[in-house]
Amino acid sequence: MNDVIISSTVADATDAQLSAVTKFLYREAQLLDTGRYAEWLDLLADDAVYWIPAKPGQTDPKAVPSIIYENKDLLSMRISRLSDPRTYQTVPPPRTRRIVGNILIEKVDAQSDSLTVNSVAFVHEYRDERCRLFSALCTHVLRETDTGLKISSKRLDLIDCDSTHTAFMSLL
Amino acid sequence: MALSVEAIKGLVKQNAVHKSVYTDQEIFDLEMERIFGKIWLYVAHESQLRNPGDFVRTRMGTQDYVVTRDEQGQINVLQNRCTHRGATLCNSDRGHSSRLVCGYHQWMFDMSGKLRGLPHRESYPASFDLDAEQNSLKRAPRVASYKGFIFASLSETGPSLEEFLGPMRVAIDNLINRSPTGELELCDTAFKLEYKANWKMHHENANDTIHPGVVHSSSVMAARQHRGEPSSFDFGQTQEMLQGNNFSKKEWEAIELVALPGGHSYMDGIYRSKLLARKESDPIRDKYEAMLHEVHGKERTDEILNLDRFNNLIYPNISINAQYHQLRMVHPVAPDRTLVVSQCFRLVGAPDEIYHRAVRFLTTLSSPASMIYGDDAAIFERCNQGLTGSGDEAWIDMSRGMDIDRRLPDGGTISAATEAPIRSQFDAWLGYMTQGV
Repeated sequence: MNDVIISSTVADATDAQLSAVTKFLYREAQLLDTGRYAEWLDLLADDAVYWIPAKPGQTDPKAVPSIIYENKDLLSMRISRLSDPRTYQTVPPPRTRRIVGNILIEKVDAQSDSLTVNSVAFVHEYRDERCRLFSALCTHVLRETDTGLKISSKRLDLIDCDSTHTAFMSLL
Repeated sequence: MALSVEAIKGLVKQNAVHKSVYTDQEIFDLEMERIFGKIWLYVAHESQLRNPGDFVRTRMGTQDYVVTRDEQGQINVLQNRCTHRGATLCNSDRGHSSRLVCGYHQWMFDMSGKLRGLPHRESYPASFDLDAEQNSLKRAPRVASYKGFIFASLSETGPSLEEFLGPMRVAIDNLINRSPTGELELCDTAFKLEYKANWKMHHENANDTIHPGVVHSSSVMAARQHRGEPSSFDFGQTQEMLQGNNFSKKEWEAIELVALPGGHSYMDGIYRSKLLARKESDPIRDKYEAMLHEVHGKERTDEILNLDRFNNLIYPNISINAQYHQLRMVHPVAPDRTLVVSQCFRLVGAPDEIYHRAVRFLTTLSSPASMIYGDDAAIFERCNQGLTGSGDEAWIDMSRGMDIDRRLPDGGTISAATEAPIRSQFDAWLGYMTQGV
């Protein structure tokens, strides 16, 4: 077991909740794989935080460097760069296919109408004659709002987060 | 047979270099022997080795090394290779131990690299001597620290570290002066990024002021067109850094490129355009400056904080950015593979938020998902692709500014928007590759 923090119990979520969460995560995967980044951004709550730690089990995003630690505002810049033809990393454009599985609702917080969800994502990226696989444990905190579920935070713990990487820009 | 001195000299003209310097295995091997195998290389920072028994793994050229503090408090730079069967002894980035023990046949070395014991001693021949030099770990014969920055050389002789650093000492001095206690602490987390191209391309790019407006235009545009107000999340630092590569012609010309003997270089005056400069209202910075006033007085503090030298390249293996407390190590792996290790420093005693900004700077510039570095890496790889292949002759131009460099009194040149840093790197390169051979 890694030092990634996972609670040992699974919340007593309803089948309806699990089904809604599953659909939501599949939808998110589809938007990212088809490059519909603006729509993906709409899935995020305004105060959402997106985090890819650089260290296994990292708890501090400020005093410890992260691969990405951004809010919705910074993500919107990242996305506008992704769609810019002058971005060398997108010429030729990368393609991704991802599988999201092992979806478990870890926590139901009735007070904030939020659900903490763990899932595993395999993101297979093809770019510039090369294929690459990202394996992540994802932790979404999803909030139930009037307009449906919104991402209040998304954390991706890559199995090789502290390893040597080549530069990448695909959204995970 | 090694390339003759004449053949090597034939690879570098005043205005161009032969493409093989970026792609040829034989030249790469000679670089490892004559540059990385001889001259001073930065290997570690003393803050990583506070106590006897502390060790940190590093590289010298393509070789795996470990820097240790032994029981006597001495720093040793040892090859990370058991003298028995060649296995690496130290297999984590850093740690603490009283012995380096091989996981193969349990040969045991102390932290100064001396062989202290091995199993089944009685089966070795009578002539086997535990104390014999060939049984100790191979060590860098020269190790020196400049104010906490540990350098090592694999050559018994050569200029002293201070001589080697020359005016680049100012970059280290300035970084230290920025700490209210005069102490630095290197952060634990390092980004390790590999690109598929030659190591020299990193340095040639670092102090080139024309490429940012071209290579980084997508991140510049993303930041310029961005409508959001800077929030407390990062105080606008990311946007500002992305936009920081948007030099106008006037700004290019205001940044002075100082190219020094030994291949060292830096950019002077990058903050004159006010990007990345101090904000008018910045309570964190006020608090930090007040701390420095206590130590240095106001006038000296201003001098320290206004020293405006960006990307201080200490040829051939590190670059220091004193303003943002950044350190980058560049390790050649193969002619077409390079490992870049980026870290930042905590200024001990400064407000935590100052460190958070250094961390944010590191993330924005040097993370694998950086919106800036990714474009540089992509362009290095395009260069490598362009230069690969045999059967043709190609000369890579470095003539920009050749006629406008101004000579500095103590050696080196100062100019703007030129390729003088590249030319100074090849001056040094040629010297190292041909002298004393």
